[in-house]
Amino acid sequence: MSSHMSSSPLQFWDKHRGTIRSKKGGWVVGKGVFNHGYSMMKDLVGKVSYMQVVILNATGRLPQRHIADWCEAIHICLSWPDPRIWCNQIGALGGTARTSVVAATTAGILAADAKSYGMKTLLGGVRFIQEAMFDHKNGVSVDEIVKKECAKHRGKPHIMGYARPVAKGDERVVAMKRVQKEWGLPDGDHLQLAYQIEKVLLRDFDESMNINGYMSAFLSDQGYTAEEVYRIFAVLVTSGVTACYIDTRDRPPEAFLPLRCDDIEYTGKPARAVP
Amino acid sequence: MERKSEVRRNDLFVERTATNIWQEVASPDNPYLTESARCHGYELMELVKKRSFVDVFYLMFRGELPDANEAVLLEQLMIGLINPGPRHPAARAAMNAGVGSSSVEHILPIALTIYGGEHLGAAEVVSAMKFLRKHRNQDPLLLVHKLFEESVPPSEGDWHIVPGFGSRFGGVDGVARKIADHLNGLPGNHETLTWGCRFAAALNGHSQGWLAPAMAAAVFTDLGFSPRAGAGLFQLLGAPGLLAHGVELASKPITAMPFLKDENYVITYE
Repeated sequence: MSSHMSSSPLQFWDKHRGTIRSKKGGWVVGKGVFNHGYSMMKDLVGKVSYMQVVILNATGRLPQRHIADWCEAIHICLSWPDPRIWCNQIGALGGTARTSVVAATTAGILAADAKSYGMKTLLGGVRFIQEAMFDHKNGVSVDEIVKKECAKHRGKPHIMGYARPVAKGDERVVAMKRVQKEWGLPDGDHLQLAYQIEKVLLRDFDESMNINGYMSAFLSDQGYTAEEVYRIFAVLVTSGVTACYIDTRDRPPEAFLPLRCDDIEYTGKPARAVP
Repeated sequence: MERKSEVRRNDLFVERTATNIWQEVASPDNPYLTESARCHGYELMELVKKRSFVDVFYLMFRGELPDANEAVLLEQLMIGLINPGPRHPAARAAMNAGVGSSSVEHILPIALTIYGGEHLGAAEVVSAMKFLRKHRNQDPLLLVHKLFEESVPPSEGDWHIVPGFGSRFGGVDGVARKIADHLNGLPGNHETLTWGCRFAAALNGHSQGWLAPAMAAAVFTDLGFSPRAGAGLFQLLGAPGLLAHGVELASKPITAMPFLKDENYVITYE
């Protein structure tokens, strides 16, 4: 027996063996479906929005309606039917290869679990603004925050939540600021700091805040952690991927950007005999 | 009429899941730890030392080790299908995932999901296996004649007259044909593959022929694999090439693949 085992080495495993202990809820046949203490059919259906339940499932806390509505608006901003976007193109390739809509959409969602765009970047975005807020409250200036972050990337403004691939500027931030104003949602401490950081980046690098930076700061002001934000937006890109799938699924197979053999450039070793 | 209140059914569920494939013998000191494992009765370490990967791959799905001819046929098919090529939608999906810095552990699942399609993918393999099982006793020439009499071609794009056989970009897929012809020349009994070669030859006059899914389906059928396994086997065999293409792009900047210019991106609402 391994020396590091306690006197009851199997106790932990035996406790879990053959039993599910859910902290979330479940279906009690004849009594109802329960979710974090709510009866789904009595307390939630028809009384709260779908997005409120998504956030409840992701965080364990039922948010106010306006926060859920704001999150829903973000989904519109981050899921558009353009197959040039990498995750969307995977949906389009699924359509042209005749996968099911579920398979293609799921593959597209999986692709957006990426470091350069999509959902995974939210982890870095939220962590950055929350750490920046901590530093700022401890006397670090906004200029110093930017300088310290840029130093990690050889002086380049690679700060999660600022700048973006392909284009400069972000029209989605403009739209969400408008929504925020129309709904009477105030700028919290994190968002105010995010705008100050943006000012420095605009001045020094001509780069602005992207939708990740805006989301990360707004949701930090609502008290969400980085991991919670990542969980809430797990399928953020879904509808745009589906749209791109449909566009190619309704055309002949392989009609999506067909490639000739020489459309792929071969740069490997020349032809040679097998020894 | 009032709805009945919810009650749980009395379905009889087994107490333990059963498998014929793998036996794990517990450690005498810890019932959760495996002391030794057996695949269809063969001790894993003995397989590790004495048999090839292809032998054990075959064993996993068929329950017996292959004879020499079966092992050669499967190994050569595996090489033939090792990469659907960088223009296949599944490889392009892998490349998109790679160049987009998708988490590297997602590259293969993404590619294999797209490789599951009904067009040149795993779903087409299943349909092709069913077609071959049903029709391999018919005269291929007469069947081709009948099919073209009864079928209506699509208005545009490629036409797969039956699953796994058809045109590729309007012509015959020469690579699939060469591999199928070569495998058919190997020693052993592979009647489905032989029938498929005759059927494909009869299709050639219509600019159709073997496609990779039917070629795989014919060999899988001759080797005794079930259509249920066929889809996943096809995905497994193409996985090395798909992964390699994705990984190749994963270390490159996002500019390493084309991003169409706005003038080449046309929005049309029909």
